[in-house]
Amino acid sequence: MDRTSVKIVVAGGFGTGKTTMVGSVSEIPPLTTEEVLTQASVGVDDVTGVEGKTNTTVALDFGRITISDDVILYLFGTPGQDRFWFMWDELAQGAVGAVVLVDTRRLESSFAAIDYFERRDIPFVAAVNRFWGECQYSEDEIRSALELQPIVPMVWCDARDRSSSKQALIALVQHAMARMLVARSASQPRS
Amino acid sequence: MAYDEWDGDDETEAGRLVPLYMLVKGRTSPRNVNLDLATQVIAMPVDTRRLEPEYAQIINRCANWMSIAEIGAYLHLPLTITKIMVDVLLEQRYLGIGAPAQRKIADVEVLQTVLAGLDRL
Repeated sequence: MDRTSVKIVVAGGFGTGKTTMVGSVSEIPPLTTEEVLTQASVGVDDVTGVEGKTNTTVALDFGRITISDDVILYLFGTPGQDRFWFMWDELAQGAVGAVVLVDTRRLESSFAAIDYFERRDIPFVAAVNRFWGECQYSEDEIRSALELQPIVPMVWCDARDRSSSKQALIALVQHAMARMLVARSASQPRS
Repeated sequence: MAYDEWDGDDETEAGRLVPLYMLVKGRTSPRNVNLDLATQVIAMPVDTRRLEPEYAQIINRCANWMSIAEIGAYLHLPLTITKIMVDVLLEQRYLGIGAPAQRKIADVEVLQTVLAGLDRL
């Protein structure tokens, strides 16, 4: 049977518009699925501040886009809290890459996400969400504040807007393809 | 085997009768390590009358291709449990599975298809 799932992760700090972006491009209203953490996750999950609590629920919002008869694109928003890093691994594994949403009023809230994908060499684009109005910073200023490597694309977007969110996804897929083609040609001996 | 006679009560009103960990027979992770949140499955045309209701519910949801994440969301089941139950149903051939979602890197051809699909949105 040939039925292919493609994953894209929508990441960023708490309140950067992840669920909004998933919702604006998804063909279904975003769904929420939950993972229950038990004692077994202690040590993985930093439970500082919630000691004594044995069950924690992590909610994941996701949406889908039917690309063709046999290819479905799933968009997964990352849980906002840093305590749930292990869920990121599950989401990132096998994913095309990530759109990291950036709120220029709180750039630092996206540092962790950028760092995560950089360390694992997973393709990502930084999408500056203009949800809150015109941005007073230039692309160069934001790039340098985020310490983005030159190869990482940066796009402006409004996560509420379907076509704008779609452009961010397109930028990511193009970036992932370009990286793949570079890797491919580097691994082929010249004849 | 003796079966209790149905006394007319709706068991679901009292909450879940069988704890989820019993349903998955103590398994804590799927045997098929390639199962992913986005892996899609579909119901096979087989008799499901012998299945526990929780499992039958999954089959009923999968008349069309459906991802593990969607099954969990629609049936309000935690993800790991959903994954293990799907794994059991795949082993017993109640479900069929799509192409492995967990390729290390999706191939360029698939990405081209995705790009074209996004363009049409």
